[in-house]
Amino acid sequence: MSRLASAALAAALTFAIGSGAASAATEIEMFFPVPVEGQLAKEMKRLIERFNTEHPDIKATPVYTGSYDETNIKTRAAIKAGRPPAAVIMSANFVLEYQINDEIQALDPLVAAGGETADAYMGRFWPALHGNARFAGKIWAVPFHNSTPLLYYNVDHFKEAGLDPSRPPATWAEWVDAAKKLTVRDGGSIKRYGVMIPGNYDYLGWIMTALTMSNGGLYYNPEFGGEVYYDSPSMLGALSLVDDMVHKHKVMPEGVTDGKAVSTAFFAGQASMVLLSTGSLSFIRENMKANYAVAFVPRNLRNAVAIGGASLIMPKGLSEEQKKASWTLINWLTGPEVSGHWSRFTGYFAPNKGAYELPEMKEFIAKNPDAKVALDQLQYAQSWFATYNTVAVRKALEDEVQAVLSGKRKPAEAVKAAQAKADEIMRPYVEQTALKLPN
Amino acid sequence: MVTMRRASPAALLGIAAVSAVVLVWSTPLLWMAIAAFRPQNFGGLDMAALWPDFTPTLANFAEALDSADFALLYLNTVVVCLGTLAVQLATVTLSGYAFARLRFPGKEWVFYGFLLQLMLVPPILIVPNLITITRLGLYDSLLGIMAPYFASAFGVFLMRQTFRTIPKDFEEAAIVDGASWWQLVWRVLVPLARPGMVAFGIVSVVSHWNEFLWPLMVISSPDNQTLTIGLASFTRGAESASQWGVIAAGTFLVAAPLLTAFALFQRQFVNSFLFSGVK
Repeated sequence: MSRLASAALAAALTFAIGSGAASAATEIEMFFPVPVEGQLAKEMKRLIERFNTEHPDIKATPVYTGSYDETNIKTRAAIKAGRPPAAVIMSANFVLEYQINDEIQALDPLVAAGGETADAYMGRFWPALHGNARFAGKIWAVPFHNSTPLLYYNVDHFKEAGLDPSRPPATWAEWVDAAKKLTVRDGGSIKRYGVMIPGNYDYLGWIMTALTMSNGGLYYNPEFGGEVYYDSPSMLGALSLVDDMVHKHKVMPEGVTDGKAVSTAFFAGQASMVLLSTGSLSFIRENMKANYAVAFVPRNLRNAVAIGGASLIMPKGLSEEQKKASWTLINWLTGPEVSGHWSRFTGYFAPNKGAYELPEMKEFIAKNPDAKVALDQLQYAQSWFATYNTVAVRKALEDEVQAVLSGKRKPAEAVKAAQAKADEIMRPYVEQTALKLPN
Repeated sequence: MVTMRRASPAALLGIAAVSAVVLVWSTPLLWMAIAAFRPQNFGGLDMAALWPDFTPTLANFAEALDSADFALLYLNTVVVCLGTLAVQLATVTLSGYAFARLRFPGKEWVFYGFLLQLMLVPPILIVPNLITITRLGLYDSLLGIMAPYFASAFGVFLMRQTFRTIPKDFEEAAIVDGASWWQLVWRVLVPLARPGMVAFGIVSVVSHWNEFLWPLMVISSPDNQTLTIGLASFTRGAESASQWGVIAAGTFLVAAPLLTAFALFQRQFVNSFLFSGVK
């Protein structure tokens, strides 16, 4: 016990000395989630150390805050408790709620202070990312790392099944057809599935967004946070496709498959085609032994996917020095060089277009054609679904889709139930906004 | 004369059934232990196999140890668990005694009010608790993690029930000898209630050892993180596959102290649970 006590004392002392020496610099905290596998937390700490060395007047502390959802809870709690962090890497579709709740700074004054117009500032980022960062007339967030869903497929399986790996399925019809050919059956049991999609919360909603958009749908009203289009032909078609793949064509496993299980099955050759995030690219590239390739998410009516990933936001309640320091950090993290480095490390694409002008990035893209496909799909990407109470509204749909995956619901009932649930969740906001009429 | 007692078929069947249950329950632990020593392997189906069919490697442990400052994480977690328990033992013993033996107006109502706390889902208290913690100046400190648990409804309930099983005769004898109330508690009741306290101690330590969300909310500086957060920072990710070997090794490191403690004090633990009826 005494050894423990002295260790604690030593730790406390070093901490005290350490923080004392740096007291001249502006201290800021940045919350960051680790949304994908790999040594991301470590790499983030390394990055921030580099930032602190390059900026001796600022001492930034990187604070690991769990998943996107947990980061959201922690940020909200910290703001309510009066301890707002100076910057947060926040899931891009949660930003709207912080704006609705008046908890984050509009960044326009800081942009203006730097002598730039808002248009010029946003112009450095890919157009698909603007919707989730700049809305209601102001800039609320700066894109940090972004992704889209991508079709990963096993090239060896394609050859084996007599499919041409250089012509991956582009339409839903080709997709289902390929899935049937790729599924390996042994009597009543299935040894290899043609398709797998992640069915866990968050991921499932995002994949359904991509399928609905590929079916011509919008999914939500990008201009107003009180409307989603769950009970609509485009969503019904997307959900029926998923239902058919499980129960009619039997090319996808029944029940809810976690995202990790999907990539593990893909690595193990138990699934031939999977829909996963571009954020998984580096991890799959490093660990997949068989030959694989990537393609756009197959379309029914058009090529369209929603972006994913995260943006940097700045909560209210900071001092002027902290704001300045935070703005320096945000721009350093989203500049071409760091952005490109982080993109190569994780697989996310770099939001800053300038990153792709750098020689090391050009070399990387030339060497990794899969990263090029992810980048090409960007021109078909749109904003990510964001509403009042996004998580609950998303879950309303996900619960129903999971019930369909498990064979407990038919798609037509599911979309109706999801719509009713979502409308009920958004009602308080709708009553305060769209249904608030003059007396 | 000693004869070999042959087990009856019914007994054999019972043993077989128990073994089957044990096997099912221990599968995750077995898998963790095996996967932790398995070389990184993403492509093979044998990843899920329970049979160790490989040359054991410590590479997973090396990577896990390299990913977080485990010495500090252990220290913080031990401080949180033992600190919480020390305060809890004092509070639950005293209030358990009050509810079991003392008479005061509204006793039943206060007690039921206490029990109501058990019905609350902890996440709904995150924001109010965090606000209180911040006002007390405990944000981002180990004490901040511990403070909300200092009064435990479950512990009070358990100690009240335990004290009520102790015959009043012991106390009456002590009172005749001139003992004061605190001597009664300290010298008579606490020694007799030890099994209940041990049972509570185990539940308390295990739950705080494994807790994730609340420490994540309170703690910001890496120096104050606990084991679960340290583990999560390099093993969890929503959008991608897992490095199962590293996860298993990290989980092994986190669980090892509790597993070792259980192995060492197994008999006392089981006795305490039997005595107190905690399952």
